[in-house]
Amino acid sequence: MEPFIEFRKVEKKYELGEHTFYALKDVDLEIMEGEMVVILGPSGAGKSTLLNLLGGMDSPSGGEILFNGHNIAGFNDDGLTAYRAWNVGVVFQFYNLIPTLTAYENVALMKDVRNNVKKGSIWEKESEGVEILDPVEMLDAVGLKDHLHQFPSQMSGGEQQRTSIARALAKNPRLLLCDEPTGALDTDTGQEVLKLLQRVSRERKHTVVMVTHNSSFADIADRVIRVKNGTVRSTEINEDPKDALEVSW
Amino acid sequence: MLLRKMWRDLLQNKVQFFSIFLLSLLGIFVFAGLDSEASGMAKYESLYYEETGLADIWVQGKKFRNEDLNKIRAIPGVVTAEKRLRIDGKAELEEEHDLQMNFIDSNEISRMRIIKGEPFEPGEGGVWLEQTFAEHQGLDVGDTIKMKVEGSEFDEKIRAIVCNPEYVYFLPDAAALMPTYGDYGAAFMDSAEYPVKDEIYFNQIIADIDGVDNTGGLDDDEKERVRRIGNTIRNVLDDSRIVTTGKDADLSYQTFHSEIEQHKTMTYIFPAVFLLIAILGIITTMTRMTSRQRIQIGTMKALGFSKRTVVMHYASYSLFLSLTGGIVGAILGYNTIAELIISMQSDAYLVPEMRTAFSPRAFGGIVVSVLVSTLVSYIACRKELAPAPAETLRPASPKNLKHSALEKSRLWLKLDFAMQWNIRDILRNKVRSAMGMFGVLGCAMLLFGAFACLDTMDFITTWLYGELNTSNYQIIMEENTPLSVTEEYAKEYSGQMVQNSGAEFEVNGVRKSGAVTVYDTGNYLHFEDSDMRHINLNKKGISMSCKMAEILGLEEGDVFRWHVIGDDKWQTSHVAGLYRNPTTQGITMTRDVFEEYEYEFTPGAVYANKKPKASIEDDDNVTGVQSHDEMMEAFDSMKEMMYTMVYILVAAAIVLGVVVLYNLGVLSLVEKHREMATLKVLGFTTSKIRSILQMQNILLTCAGIALGIPCGMGLIAALFGSMPESMDYIATWKPASFAYTIAGTFILSCAVNRILSRKVKTVDMVDALKGQE
Repeated sequence: MEPFIEFRKVEKKYELGEHTFYALKDVDLEIMEGEMVVILGPSGAGKSTLLNLLGGMDSPSGGEILFNGHNIAGFNDDGLTAYRAWNVGVVFQFYNLIPTLTAYENVALMKDVRNNVKKGSIWEKESEGVEILDPVEMLDAVGLKDHLHQFPSQMSGGEQQRTSIARALAKNPRLLLCDEPTGALDTDTGQEVLKLLQRVSRERKHTVVMVTHNSSFADIADRVIRVKNGTVRSTEINEDPKDALEVSW
Repeated sequence: MLLRKMWRDLLQNKVQFFSIFLLSLLGIFVFAGLDSEASGMAKYESLYYEETGLADIWVQGKKFRNEDLNKIRAIPGVVTAEKRLRIDGKAELEEEHDLQMNFIDSNEISRMRIIKGEPFEPGEGGVWLEQTFAEHQGLDVGDTIKMKVEGSEFDEKIRAIVCNPEYVYFLPDAAALMPTYGDYGAAFMDSAEYPVKDEIYFNQIIADIDGVDNTGGLDDDEKERVRRIGNTIRNVLDDSRIVTTGKDADLSYQTFHSEIEQHKTMTYIFPAVFLLIAILGIITTMTRMTSRQRIQIGTMKALGFSKRTVVMHYASYSLFLSLTGGIVGAILGYNTIAELIISMQSDAYLVPEMRTAFSPRAFGGIVVSVLVSTLVSYIACRKELAPAPAETLRPASPKNLKHSALEKSRLWLKLDFAMQWNIRDILRNKVRSAMGMFGVLGCAMLLFGAFACLDTMDFITTWLYGELNTSNYQIIMEENTPLSVTEEYAKEYSGQMVQNSGAEFEVNGVRKSGAVTVYDTGNYLHFEDSDMRHINLNKKGISMSCKMAEILGLEEGDVFRWHVIGDDKWQTSHVAGLYRNPTTQGITMTRDVFEEYEYEFTPGAVYANKKPKASIEDDDNVTGVQSHDEMMEAFDSMKEMMYTMVYILVAAAIVLGVVVLYNLGVLSLVEKHREMATLKVLGFTTSKIRSILQMQNILLTCAGIALGIPCGMGLIAALFGSMPESMDYIATWKPASFAYTIAGTFILSCAVNRILSRKVKTVDMVDALKGQE
């Protein structure tokens, strides 16, 4: 089986005066379609950089990033925008909801994304028939049917994060990226969010990639990628992932 | 959804966005308001003159016959001509009123516009009466009016109430300084109605000249055509006593047109500066507003919105605010300032239905304001979008700070913490500080400009009637009064005889019209040099006003040609001296010098200090008497329009200053929120933090005032420097204006700061020190 996502000798470096800082160096990794992946590592390991490259939010300094066989590393700004618009859903650590839009509107915003994206990209053909999902259904799916018309400031952190997940899912994305999705939440709420993400991966067959420094999350993943100092230290396949509600931290 | 986001963003940041709206509104309010007034005057001037076919040249003589008229009509370039008798008469109502009567043969040139009643038909009886006179005297169509001319009384039925393009601005007599319409008027009748039977004579011919239109004043080519036809008329009629007056020398046309020109200058410089400051305020606010939305911009990009969509979304904020602000400002300006000033103008100039008019300039102002505002957001947003979304999603990295030279100096260590903190804050937020200072600068500049404008007008009045003309009374003589009569009055009142006539000057083919002032012995008319020092021109030959010399490119000792209007003989003279005069540009000489050129001395006024007897006005040779106070009052009423504009500008400057300062203050507070919270946590009292903030405000206000006053001086110098050629106003400022400007700006700046510093109290330490999100 061909990997859905593949990193080949990927590096990301920053020139700081006379010094070169490598955020990622010689990274090779593979992710299969429908997997729930956890990228684990301490602060400054390069996991967020990895996630940004995966989400087309940044470009690598070298190497190839293959997404369903297409090398997105060579894409220009427009190409990456289309890639994000068609394929990627993002759940941020601090939710990043638009504060002046209600929960419903934040999710419905995804229709605007699709409507405004450049026509005729390869992703459009690959995603034929994939429609933006109904915002009410999405919010219902994350248990927020009663919060449709609340603004982010009127919701708790967990509710905001669930709205953020609903927003990411509304795109019906092939790849769901989560950057420390429980980082700003208490344990109970965090567990609920994890459960939701796990359910999404299993029921909807979305590929979910979660970045975290919390090693407890390794138990719920199908694949665990450990990074340190900008390199991949190990990749483990978890034959029997735990249920999200069973983990605690 | 994006539209909803915009709308809610606007509501949530209403103070900031409202200030952008207000700045656009204010800028356009003043700009479009004043422009619509000047444009309206210019538009309705052209429309009225075009519709009624105002004459291009007036030929005055003793008695014109039909063959004279035919000779003029036959001159190539003359489209048509009409003869008429224009004579001063009286209307015998409850009281006697001056009525200038026009006995005409036809109504093809300078046509009457019928307000009410029947059109004029040659050969028909009755009188066509000027509107303001009819209205003030309660006369209407169908009434019969008793009139008197040259000793003969006669009655006429009013056939129509009219207005006439030759009576846009007219005075009861040469002694009057301001019109008091309604008290006197004008009447038009068929020449057959002239009451002295078989005695009709025609003292005027008016003509329409090919290639001289009635729109937008006279250009050089049109002036040359009028002058050429005038010369030809004098040659063709072969009569040295006739006088031709071109349109540009006609009192009604000239006064109204130069008023329009003056307004155009006024409405251009001040509001343009105003608009500029408003736009700069918008630039700062919008740039900072956009940079504050950095994370949201990054999120939108990460969610898959294209760069174009995000940029257009943010640009639409500015577009919406500046466009609505501009439109509301234009509508308000059009309906308030423009209406206010034009209604004042309508009292002085009788142009029917004179209204305000939008000009392309007003639209241009809106377009510039909208384009600049939108472009600023566009650029600011592009700047945030330039890095990859991964970077935009993070808060902006702190600037790489370096120590300034001041911080390395010994002086630095002597400064207290507050001063050090403020200097660092100013130096590290150069754009914000510069804009704050610019707001103060703009406010100080406009305030100083407004005060200096009043100072200048006051100075001109004092200069004119306190230094250059020191007489208490001017006895104005009728035209053609025998010199001996005038001399008698001069003797009786120990006065000085002065003649003011039109003249034309030529240097290297460049011609300019102006005045020749001739004075007899006496000590009422004085002259000052370019440095405002008193000079005696008596022993010199012909001296020229500084402005005229500048226009003609002449210096003392240079040679020029000149002639008195009505006399075709050109004289060649050299400039014996230079003097400065605010209202009359041309040459001046003593009676002796004038007579040496074989001109007849015909003084139009006697300047005196002794109060003339009341009976003097009964003398047919005397037009009237003007006192010093009356002259000052007349000048003051001319200044009224300027005062109105100045008051509007002062008010606008204050609002502008408040908006810019408040705006930047709020932004600065938001940016310093964490720093202030930290200071609070460290144990600084609220009042100490306030005083730190106030110190920065004082530093920037001082810098703004220090730069704003010289800019105000430049503004006023530019404004008065661009006045019409006949005016030589010296921009002046009194020490009090400096004091008012400094005090006014400080009060304004401190008041705004006081309101803002109250917000320091509301800084929540816990909230402010939480994570960025």
